[in-house]
Amino acid sequence: MLKLQSVLFTIIFTTLFSCKEKSVIKNNIAETNIDSLSKNKNPYIQPDQSWLDISWYPVDYPIEKMKGNDSLHLIAKLIYSRPHKKGRILFAESKESLCAYGVPWRLGANEATEIELFENVNIAGKNILKGTYVIYCIPHADRWTIIFNSNIHTWGLHINQSKDIFKTDLPVQKQEPALEDFTMVFKENSNGADLIMAWDNVKTVLPIVFIK
Amino acid sequence: MKKFLLICSVALFCTITIFAQSTIPALAKSPMFMSTYPAGFGILKIQDKVTEPLAARIIYSRPQKNNRAIFGGLVEYNKVWRFGANENTEIEFFTDVTINNIKVKKGRYSMFAIPTKEKWTLIINKDLNSWGEYKYEQSKDVLRVDAPVQTSTEIAEVFYIYFDKAKNGFALNAGWDNVKITLPISMK
Repeated sequence: MLKLQSVLFTIIFTTLFSCKEKSVIKNNIAETNIDSLSKNKNPYIQPDQSWLDISWYPVDYPIEKMKGNDSLHLIAKLIYSRPHKKGRILFAESKESLCAYGVPWRLGANEATEIELFENVNIAGKNILKGTYVIYCIPHADRWTIIFNSNIHTWGLHINQSKDIFKTDLPVQKQEPALEDFTMVFKENSNGADLIMAWDNVKTVLPIVFIK
Repeated sequence: MKKFLLICSVALFCTITIFAQSTIPALAKSPMFMSTYPAGFGILKIQDKVTEPLAARIIYSRPQKNNRAIFGGLVEYNKVWRFGANENTEIEFFTDVTINNIKVKKGRYSMFAIPTKEKWTLIINKDLNSWGEYKYEQSKDVLRVDAPVQTSTEIAEVFYIYFDKAKNGFALNAGWDNVKITLPISMK
């Protein structure tokens, strides 16, 4: 019985320890105080309120690589800025709302959101060649139109719609719990990956099929 | 003993639950940032004010001082440092450039630095999409160049990198705490 006790202890401690280690490695799963950041003085460039982030597929690709998981093959890298709700009305009919229905929205903040595909993929029946694209959205109450555009390295406003190369409609789903920070993240599915786009109490999911 | 086992299972369950949450990533502690040369290229583009093509873009995360000693402390002297936080700092040149008389072909590279009190050795390396400096291999270096350290009376709480115009091209400026460096990059 003593042996059983020590085995159980070992299991618990190992698990707890590895959990702690994980949070150290990631170094970014933490409550962040935006106000404290903005108070910090910087003589050159203040950190942005809606800061940039990268989502990878495979998820956390650089961390996996660091851990020695060399067999992973990079498929997608998405660079976007993450605005905060800050009590505002986001998705609504009113043109006053931040992401008004029917109006192109940059799926983020600041620079246009950029998706880089390292392989050809298929989305909603259309082949998309590997390369870098701007990705943006036209939100509606029941659906978001997601659009890929070839005019890269630009700011997220005044999208040049003549450079659209692909669009697809996605149903709007309920996001629970509601999110303060706009979030885009990849998640594995049976044919490839889903790109989840979520903010406040809504989300949409873009299925990306990997071409074998 | 039964009680003990119960406590153990509860503890295990809690640990597993902690693991199971968080598909949705929280905001990073060291926010990421993008700088371009010409500065603010994306904004210039939508305002139809572009006068010269995009030459460089750097994407890096911005750690904060938070009352810590930075160089010689958090960032050790004479060791390869990721020149930012989290993912590798990545620089992309959209045209061939010359740094310290060495040609660098257009393309994307990772950047590292080896800080000392007097100078930073800046490194441009071919490895991409990595985390920190853990996978850094000197054999993949494209170049190493020294930049003298300048001390500044103003303290930068947050690490920064930005480009500005310079002779024959532009310069990469980086700094944190009370030190900064400048790296001239020629487009000639």
